[in-house]
Amino acid sequence: MKKLLMTVIMLVLVSTTVLTACGGNNGGNQQGNNTSNSNSSTSNSNSTPDPSSPTDTDKKAEPFTVSLRHIQIGEAQKFRKAILDDVVAKTEAEVPGLTFELEGVEDSVNRFTKLPAEMAAGNPPKIFDLFGGEGDALKYGAAGRLLDLAPILEELGLSNSFLNLDQFTLDGKVYGLPIGGNIEGFYYNEEIFATLGLPEPKTWAELEQAAQTLTDNGYTAFAMGSKGAWVPLMLVNTLIGRYAGPESISGFSSGEAKWNSPEVVAAYAKYEEWVKKGYFTKGELGFEYADMLNEFLTGKAGMMFDGSWRSSVFSDETQAGALTNKVGFFTMPAVEGGVGDQTYVNGNYSNGYGFSSDLNEQELVAVKAFIKNMYSEEMQLRGLLEDGVLPSIKLSSDALSKVEDKIVKKVITIMGEAGGAFSHFDSTVQSSVYKETEDTILKLIAGQETAQSVADQLQAVQDKANQE
Amino acid sequence: MKQTLRNPWVYVIMVVPTLVLYSLFFIYPMATSSYYAFTDWNGLSDYSFIGLQNFIDVFSDKDFLHAIRNNMLFIVFSVFVQVPLIIIFALLIASVKRLQRLYKTTVFIPSILSTSVIGILWGFVLHPNIGPINKMLSFFGIEPVFWLADSKWALPSVLIVNAWQWMGFYIVLILAAILALPKEMNEAAEIDGASGFQRAWYLTVPLIKPIISVVVMLSIAGAMRVVDIVLVMTKGGPVGATEVMASYLVNEALGVNPNYGLGTAISLIIFVFALLLTAIYQRTFGRTED
Repeated sequence: MKKLLMTVIMLVLVSTTVLTACGGNNGGNQQGNNTSNSNSSTSNSNSTPDPSSPTDTDKKAEPFTVSLRHIQIGEAQKFRKAILDDVVAKTEAEVPGLTFELEGVEDSVNRFTKLPAEMAAGNPPKIFDLFGGEGDALKYGAAGRLLDLAPILEELGLSNSFLNLDQFTLDGKVYGLPIGGNIEGFYYNEEIFATLGLPEPKTWAELEQAAQTLTDNGYTAFAMGSKGAWVPLMLVNTLIGRYAGPESISGFSSGEAKWNSPEVVAAYAKYEEWVKKGYFTKGELGFEYADMLNEFLTGKAGMMFDGSWRSSVFSDETQAGALTNKVGFFTMPAVEGGVGDQTYVNGNYSNGYGFSSDLNEQELVAVKAFIKNMYSEEMQLRGLLEDGVLPSIKLSSDALSKVEDKIVKKVITIMGEAGGAFSHFDSTVQSSVYKETEDTILKLIAGQETAQSVADQLQAVQDKANQE
Repeated sequence: MKQTLRNPWVYVIMVVPTLVLYSLFFIYPMATSSYYAFTDWNGLSDYSFIGLQNFIDVFSDKDFLHAIRNNMLFIVFSVFVQVPLIIIFALLIASVKRLQRLYKTTVFIPSILSTSVIGILWGFVLHPNIGPINKMLSFFGIEPVFWLADSKWALPSVLIVNAWQWMGFYIVLILAAILALPKEMNEAAEIDGASGFQRAWYLTVPLIKPIISVVVMLSIAGAMRVVDIVLVMTKGGPVGATEVMASYLVNEALGVNPNYGLGTAISLIIFVFALLLTAIYQRTFGRTED
């Protein structure tokens, strides 16, 4: 009897220990349950508080936090970060009890490492930096991880304000909001060009002549940091838009365009030719995106292919130094024999904010207030004037006339003259195809593949992805 | 109490918590991994059972075969370069009379640094434009070497940095074994006229063979699961030149096109590889008791 009693006591003790250890997160689970309850009550209720007047002074608000992941880290993003900080402060002031928990993460780490893992686990931040397109917003939206913003936009009167929501829209649902627009083109060092007697390239021959002259004179023609494959792919993307036509970019996933068509191969062949001619940074495979800017800013490179989002750097003396306001911008010239309208630009409204679908009532109020403040005319104009990022919402011509930065002015002119815009293929092709474009461009740069072999491999992966 | 301890059930109850924790943190993850390895789970969408397709895909990818080759190079470098150097350094430090503790501490320091710190530190040292190594080479008129960007140099660079990080740890292990040996044997050999090399080679090394065997086994296991230094320094690049199985796993399972099914399949392959190699070593060279 005594033995039995001892055994039972020990069993109870051991079980208690194990169960206590396993149940350590009970509080969290409880909270989670509360959250989902609140969620369901939110979705069932039509009386969502108005974010424009969320303060209920009679009732002391419960403190709560909302996680916000951004990619505005480093000196080059300081203007954009300042705008975000102001929006955060304004939103916190408007929503009682709200505190944002900001987390700054490097762009590609957020996009390709943290966010996919969080989406798989179902615990992304409440607000986070998000790219549009098949591999990002649309994929996560279809999996139910993202908040549909269409009703919120309607509630806030922003339904018709955005210039382009294509990369975030699926079946009428809006899964993210672009923070701005951009085009991609060549930045060039005006001083070096003047010294070498080079004009701003307006034709393909002038562009290649400039590249050759720069190389002959000991400069890097095109600064490049290819450690992240997306950087050289910006240029490849635009070359494809020129050689194979603007429609090709969206045609790969529908089967209307082929990676191994002669036109796309010609685009890759041109890139390969430039690699062989030594136009790009020596040892580019070991340099990061930031290194590319540094090389250009230190006057070692004559040109750099990048997005218009970089323009604010060149008017900021602390970053551009001696190169302040001595940088020009031009879009890729027309290619002789290129398919389609050669005035099209590589333009995107693809980067912005997404919002978790797992929000409680308070968090939803905070999200609405954040959207209202971030996508206001005031903040969008600040983005344009301070950061050189084209607005994602329609601004009045009066507002646009305030632009003084010469690169931003040039960008606006280019966009005005362009026949249209084609997007990045990272937002139009399937993730498996995009991954293959990353793998193959690095091999092309390293001389392990040719333009034709790259194109054939890409088409094989594309065919497989289109069948799935 | 004595009577209680005679009851076998008491022992069962005592080991249950350990078994539960072991199952929770080892058996369960292994079992689920084994299951997901046969699916096309991408973390978001519904998944389906695809049999051995993940394993077929992995072994038909030449990038993965290249990663296996790199892992083997890590092992070869560890066993045939690192371990002999570790023994030599340990013997040297053991034989110094003054400042022995300083040397011990100095060689041990890299192993207490975080891999991220080491990666970034060596990133500067090996930087093509501002790195001290290239600055020194340029003194002799040698063109800058792209240590981490050139396929030829990237893997040797990472191997050396990895060795630099871990050698100190193993040196201290072997040093402890050497210092624990009775001094009398060494003195007797010295009186008999044995040189320093002879004493080290014929006396010390055979006596510390068991600990050398452990160091070799740890080096093999370490080389099989190496990933952090690769990710920090090169992310497996340039163009897969430094890719190892674990970094290939990270790039496939996460990255641009997340494929958790494939990732778990690769993790199983690494597990089996490490298990096999360690077992082979233990059954052959590692049998110190014979």
